[in-house]
This record gives sequence, C-alpha cells and structure tokens, in this order.
Amino acid sequence: MNFLAPFFLFGALAIAGPIIFHLIRRTTREVKPFSSLMFLQPTPPRVTSKSRIENLWLLLLRCLVLLALALGFARPFFRESSAKTADAGGQGRRLAILVDTSASMRRETLWAQAHEKAEALLHSTTPLDAVTLLTFDRTPRVLVDMERWRTTAVEERAPNAVRQLAAVRPGWHGTNLGVAVLQALDLISGARETVPSRGEIVVISDMQEGMRLDGLQGFEWPPNVTVRFESVKATKLGNAAAQWLAGGEQRDAADKDEKLRVRISNATDAKTERFRIAWGAAADAGLDAYVPAGQSTVIRVPKLPEGANKLTLTGDDADFDNTLWLLPPQPRRVPVIFLGADAEDDTRGSLFYLRRAFQQTPQEIVEISARRAGDAVAAFEFQNAQLVVIGDGATDAQLAGARQFARDGRLAVMPMTSPASAEALGRLLEIPGFTASEAVVREYALLAQIDFQSPLFAPFADPRFSDFTKIHFWHHRRLDAAKLPGAQVLASFESRDPAILRIPLGKGGVIVFASSWRPPDSQLALSSKFIPLLHAILDDSSGLPPARAQYFVGDEIILPPGPQSFTMRKPDGTDAPVSAGGKFAGTDLPGIYVANPGELRFVVNLDPEESRTSPLARDRLAALALPTESENAAPAASAGDGLHATAADTEQRQKLWRWLVLAAVMLLLVETAIAAKLCATKRNPAATP
Amino acid sequence: MSAAPTSTTSPQAGGASFLDPKALMAIRNLELRARTVVEGFWHGIHRSPYHGFSVEFTEYRPYAQGDDPRYLDWRLVARTDRYFIKKFEDETNLRCSLVVDGSRSMAFGSRGFTKADYARTLAATLAYFLSHQGDATGLLTFDEQVREYLPARNRPGHLRHLMLALEKPASGNSTDVATPLRRVAELVRKRSLVVLISDLLAPVEAFSEALALVTASRHEVIVFQVIDPAERTFDFDQAARFLDMETGRDLFLDPSLARADYVRRLEAHVESVRASCEGLGVSHMLLDTSKPLELALFDFLKARSVRGKLIRRKGAAA
Repeated sequence: MNFLAPFFLFGALAIAGPIIFHLIRRTTREVKPFSSLMFLQPTPPRVTSKSRIENLWLLLLRCLVLLALALGFARPFFRESSAKTADAGGQGRRLAILVDTSASMRRETLWAQAHEKAEALLHSTTPLDAVTLLTFDRTPRVLVDMERWRTTAVEERAPNAVRQLAAVRPGWHGTNLGVAVLQALDLISGARETVPSRGEIVVISDMQEGMRLDGLQGFEWPPNVTVRFESVKATKLGNAAAQWLAGGEQRDAADKDEKLRVRISNATDAKTERFRIAWGAAADAGLDAYVPAGQSTVIRVPKLPEGANKLTLTGDDADFDNTLWLLPPQPRRVPVIFLGADAEDDTRGSLFYLRRAFQQTPQEIVEISARRAGDAVAAFEFQNAQLVVIGDGATDAQLAGARQFARDGRLAVMPMTSPASAEALGRLLEIPGFTASEAVVREYALLAQIDFQSPLFAPFADPRFSDFTKIHFWHHRRLDAAKLPGAQVLASFESRDPAILRIPLGKGGVIVFASSWRPPDSQLALSSKFIPLLHAILDDSSGLPPARAQYFVGDEIILPPGPQSFTMRKPDGTDAPVSAGGKFAGTDLPGIYVANPGELRFVVNLDPEESRTSPLARDRLAALALPTESENAAPAASAGDGLHATAADTEQRQKLWRWLVLAAVMLLLVETAIAAKLCATKRNPAATP
Repeated sequence: MSAAPTSTTSPQAGGASFLDPKALMAIRNLELRARTVVEGFWHGIHRSPYHGFSVEFTEYRPYAQGDDPRYLDWRLVARTDRYFIKKFEDETNLRCSLVVDGSRSMAFGSRGFTKADYARTLAATLAYFLSHQGDATGLLTFDEQVREYLPARNRPGHLRHLMLALEKPASGNSTDVATPLRRVAELVRKRSLVVLISDLLAPVEAFSEALALVTASRHEVIVFQVIDPAERTFDFDQAARFLDMETGRDLFLDPSLARADYVRRLEAHVESVRASCEGLGVSHMLLDTSKPLELALFDFLKARSVRGKLIRRKGAAA
C-alpha cells in the first residue's frame, strides 16, 4: 500500500491518547464523598491489568477509529501492477509527451530536469499505453510515434524513447505551444480506435511567458483528453534581453550617425537593473543601460566600427539570449525600366511621377532607368529588372524585350496617354490592328467598379482607404476588352469602360491603364493612392517579400530571384545549399548568414519572445480553458513530478479513503453504543446484580 | 422502670412484615414515619403483654391497723365488705433524653438515604413510642458541639417541637461525642434514660470518658451506633478520590487495596466502642441502616428489659 499524503500517518500517534486516558481516567476524575477517612490509609491508584481488561473493547474501538481516520487522510492506494493498470474499459491511455526544446530551455539545468521528467514519465507507462514522444519549439517534431511504440518490444519501449530523447538538445528557436499541443492532439486522436480510450497530453516545459499559444483559445476539445503541464524551473529568474528595432531608422534621418535602436527588456522577477551593452573589448565600446525589473527601454547604439556585427549584453542571470547580431542596413536594390521618350523633368509626362513615387527607403532602393527610343536594352537588364513601364515611343525591340520580360513572370505596365497607345499595346501583345478610341467625358470620369480582390487594389480593400471618388479622370480611352485575350478588368469607369486591365502574358502579364496618371489625363498621380498602387504593382511583379533587416531563428530567408543557385554559409561555418525556389529554411542558429555568390548577408537573431523567461501567468493559461485534470496542473503549482501525478490518478480511481472514513463512522457508532451501555451500568450498579 | 419487655416474642418472627428502610425513608414527614414504625411494631406483636412502664398494679393484701386508709380499695369494700389494701409498685414516669448525632459524617449513605435520615427516624420513632406511653422525652442534637436541646417533657405539642428539631439538617464538620455527653450530664439532673444515636466515628477514649461521666450521674444509657453497609464492607469497585465529608480531606484510593485494612480497623473501632460500653454497663447496639427500624425498637425494649431484670435481681439480692 502506498500513501499520497503519508504525513497524515503521524495522526495515528493520537491513539496514544485513548490508551493513556484508559489508564488514568478513573483515578483522576471521580470524587467519592465518604463519611470518614479515619480508617483509611492512602494507597497509590494502581493501573491494574484488570482495569484495562474491563474496557479493552472500548479502547480498541477508539484506537481503530483514530487509525482509520489517519489512514484515510493519508489517502492510501495500492500501486497497480503494470499489467492491470488498464482503464475501466481495459484500454491503456493514449499519451503524448511534449518536450520543450526552445532556446529558453538552455538555461541552467532545465534540459536535464525536462529529460528526467520525460524519462520518469516514459518508465511509468504500462504495456497497454500508446505513447508518442515529441519535441517542440517553433514547430513540433515527432521523436517516437505511436506506431513505432507499438511495434517495439514492451520492455524496450521506454529505453528506446529515452535514447531518442537523449540525442536531442535544446535549440535556438522560439516556443509555439499552441501548434505543438494541437499536433499532439492530432497524433493521439487521429489514431483513435473503435473504443475511445483516455488521451493525455503531457507538456514538459519551462512554461515561459513568451511562449505562443496560437490556436488554443476557444478550441473545441474532444472528451477524454486531458492536458497536463510538468514545468521545470530555473533557480534564477532574472533575464534581460536586447532586441534590435530594425526598420525604425528612417525617422532618424537627421542623425548622420545612423544610430541603431536597441530595446533592452528586463524580466519582472529580475534582481539586477544595471546592464552593459558592449560591441568590443575596448572600454568605450559599450553603453550602460538601466532598466528596472519588468520594464524595457530603448537605447541608441552608435554606428558600429567596421567588423563589429554583434552586441553583447552582460549583467543578467541567463546568457543564452545575450548576443544580438546586427548589420548596418543594406537596402535592397530593385531595378525598374522605363521605356519611352519622356523627359526627366517633364511634369506632364509619366516618368516624372514615376521617379517621385519610388522614393528610397532603408529597405529598398528602386532604381529607375529610363530608356529612350534609340537605347538598346540588354537581355540581362530585363532579367534583373523587377518592373517595366512602357511609355510613349517605345521601339519594337524594346517592346519585344518587355514582352519576353512579362512572359518570364513579371509585369509590364502601360499607361495609355492617347488612342495611339493602343497600337503599341497591339504590338506588345502581338494583336495586330488593335485600336482604341478617345472616350467622351463630360466634366470628369470616376472609377466606379474596383476589384479589391486583385493584388493591385488589395491594399485599399479596407473601407477607410477604398474611396477613389476624389480621383477625377478628364480623359480616357475606350478599349474593347473582348479583343484582349484573357483580359481581366480590375477597375472600370462609371460608363463601364475598362479603366485598368490585367492581360495575362506567359507567366506574367501586362497592366494597362486606359487613362494615364499624368495631370493632363487625371488626378491619379497627385492622389494619395498613387504610391501604394505603384508599389502594389511592383510587389506583384517582383514577387519579393517585404525586405527585412533581420530574421529570427526558424524564419525562411528568401533570396533574390535569379538564375544562379545560392549556397548559404551558416554562422558555424558550414555551407548549406539553398533550394531551387531561393528559399533557405535552415536558420537554426543566431548569427550572420552569408549567401554566395554575391556575399548577401542576413542577420538571424533569437526570437525576442524567447527572452521573456518569467513563468507564464496562471490566468493566461486558465483563460485557454484547457481540459486539465486538476488544479495543480497549472504551471505555478505543478511542483509534483510525474510519478506523483500518476499516484494521484491511481488514488483518485481507488478512493480507499472513503471506505476508511466509513469504517471510522461505523466504529464510532459501535463505540458510542458500548460506552452508553457501560455508563448506564455504572450509574445504576444495583440494576445489574 | 420494671415492666421491661419480656421478649417472649422473637422479633425475628415478624421480620418479614417489617418495612424496608428505603421504603420508609420515602415518607417525607418524620412524625408519620415514626408512627408507621410504631404502629407496625404493635401490629407485629399483636396482643401486647406490655402495659407500660409507669403505674404498675402488683397485689392486694388485707388491711391491717395502721395502714393508710387512702390505699383501701373502696369498690371492693362496697362489693364484699372486706378491707383490702391495693398495693402499687413504686414507679415514676420515665424520662428519656435522645442524643442524636448531626455531624456531616452522618450525611453519608449508600442506599438512597443517609445515616442521618435513619438516625432521625429512629429518634422520632422512640420519641413517638415513649410519648404515647406518657413518658417524657427530650432531645439533644450535636455535631462538634450541642446544636439543639429540648428538655424531657410530656405535654401536648412537645412531640411536635421535637420532630421539628430533628428535621434540621446536619451541619457540623466533625463528630465530638464527648462534649454533648458531658452537657447531658450537666443538663439532665433527674435520673433518666439517655439514648445516644451516632455513628461514633470519633476517637474512643474521649467518648468512653464522657460516657463514664453520664453513667456516673446514674443515668441509664443505650448507645445506637448507626453504620451504613458501605462503611462496613467498603465495597466500592473503582479507584477514586475519596473525600472526607467532615474534614474535606481527600485521598486517592483503590478500594480493592484498601478494603481489607479498612474493614479490620473499623471492626477494631466498633469492638473498642462495644468494650468500653460494656465496661460501663451501657447497652451498645450496632445498627446497620439496611435493617428495618422495628428491629432497633426491639433491641431497645430488649435492652430495657435486660436492664430491668438486672436491677430487680440486684434489688432482690439486696
């Protein structure tokens, strides 16, 4: 027999009470008046065996009552042998063990603790249990699936899984608990057999504040599944972290030094408040930061010296997140080709507004190269260009290059400045005899129907931005969309004439404006919609994701598209090939990644959420309404180990304490009856003889 | 003082019909209790040979010259014309003083009533019995000193006073038999019968000295020693703190251990009391409160008759 709360067994010592009372009660309590003591000699009251025998049954009952109560409070249970630990229905549990391998688990001995708990849990399983072992950080990974568990010999299952786990070390990724729990649920319920058995998900984690709980809110949990948290704890909870606030630098345009903004956050449980940010060994290569516990502050780091690409934070308890990698901003160059005869400073031409629409940003430099009618455009220029705008007066060769450009998957933009532009459009699309006429516009025309589903207008889909009625069109051309194969009208005037069309061409397409953005034709170039619209076209054409100054561990790095294949050199010096799509997913270390050829450098930092190492607030977890088994499943209270939890389960099932309390009550009733009888006999001794 | 009971009828003969003391004590009124005992006693002996102790006719003798003509039986002269002198035994009324112990030790009782109840009933019974014979009865109650004193009288209402005095509760802390006996010797001048009713749980020496003083004053003394059955056998079964009712002293005792010694010492005490009584020619009667009161009355009369015979024998010898 085992006990859940063995300390209560000390209560059994209380049986000494009745024994003592039975020995001394008679001498102390009763006072008998007697006529005279002149013939009596004092004799010590003796504790005779006779006096004990008289009330032996009563004493025995009283002791048994106390013993039963003490046993009941100690919550006894019988350790079930593994062969019969089956549930009521003869089915084992379906157990999913999730072990956190995120970066925060690198602290102190957390990983050792987690390993220990997982091992205990694995060894406590029964042959009937179906177990799957997963590790998780940003994404879950299955170490041992149920099929493999099932096919392994019973005595080899746990050791095998433990071996698998022993080969794992915490990485540098962030934590996404939500995805992991849902995946675990899939694993244990996906393989559900005809008889539903009890499912349990055990999460072994440091339960840090920064873990993501996506998808758990409001999740409809199937019955029979419980989630239990086994948290591991670090002794030192203080942690500070530095985060590079990349992207905010343009606001400091006046600042010639290009200072980098770094946010220092300090944990709520931190004891220290003073930290040092250093970028070199020299005494002046560093800054002191004062951050009170639970707060954060932004400091400006001056431009780093040549060769320095990291900041080191010192002064806090956990150092796994104390290195911050930095690179001076490297704006991406985006070549755009303008084909046409527009003068650079002609305010009535298209080019003038095109140049002003694409301003330089820290992330991106759009380089517009205008090609006059006579300029030849090399094939590699078209290959590198992300967008081609066709103005008036483009030559056949240029149009052919633009056609090929569009067929390769990009977009060519053609604003029609006059009905004559239709002829150039016909040549571009290879539709001979394509014509357009000047529309008759009374006062002005407006865009009446806009397809906000299209990538061009998607940025304006929000009702706050979808008002195009301020943009007046004085002149526009009437096109016959039916003559353009596959043409998609993205916007049309109130006269139902197409205003903006997308004509597919090969892998890409041509965007045709029935009216140009020049002020003689419309107010479009002067409106606030112009710049987002052109950027939407550029993004649609290039297919590049938004430029990022830094990546986080686990993010995919997207390399600029091109014919060449890249090799990525990771911070640890190893080379990894980049897949054909130009996407590199192997960012499993923080540091500087270098893509060759071209020496493209990328910064990969630790997920800043991972640095929030304070324990997850209990109410946040409670708000998720997870099907936890009991209160002590909450992270703050889950001090008990896995063995204790299974003991609690067993005890809960057996509920032996009920029988013990019942026995105590019955014994008390018998004791009361016997004592009452004895009392009656004593009070009326004449009645008995 | 002559016609003492001749004890022809054995008191034990009617024992079965005697009242159980417990039932008797259930009667609240002391006088009624006494009457119940006395009447039951008369019923028990049926036709009584006793005609009282006072005026006793003995014989006729022929008149001789010089005899006081007052003693001539004139009715006989008128009927037969013969002169006879009616002869009487010289007898005065009996004066009886009941000396009743009212100390706290008398408040003990194991049978549902106390020794004091028993003693009072006995005293009341004797008083009733005697006053109905026309004898004068007095009362003296005492504990460590004399509490109540009623001189021996025989007049209407006296019995009632006597009963009231008897009903007063025991209050004394200790028993001092010697002092009351000395007081009796002082107060009762005329020769009389002194009936001492007490548990006599006091040192024997002082008691026997005082008793000697009383007998020396030519009083006749009968001692009733009232003892509760529990006092005689000490048959308690549990160890307890025993509290002395008089002194308030207490003792832890295991009765099973103390019993033998106690009984031995008590019997020694009773024996020494009896010995000192017999030495002084005093009747000593040990009364168990579980025994009917009528037996006590028999004992009383028996003691009186023995004494009467003794005196007569002494007179004849003289």
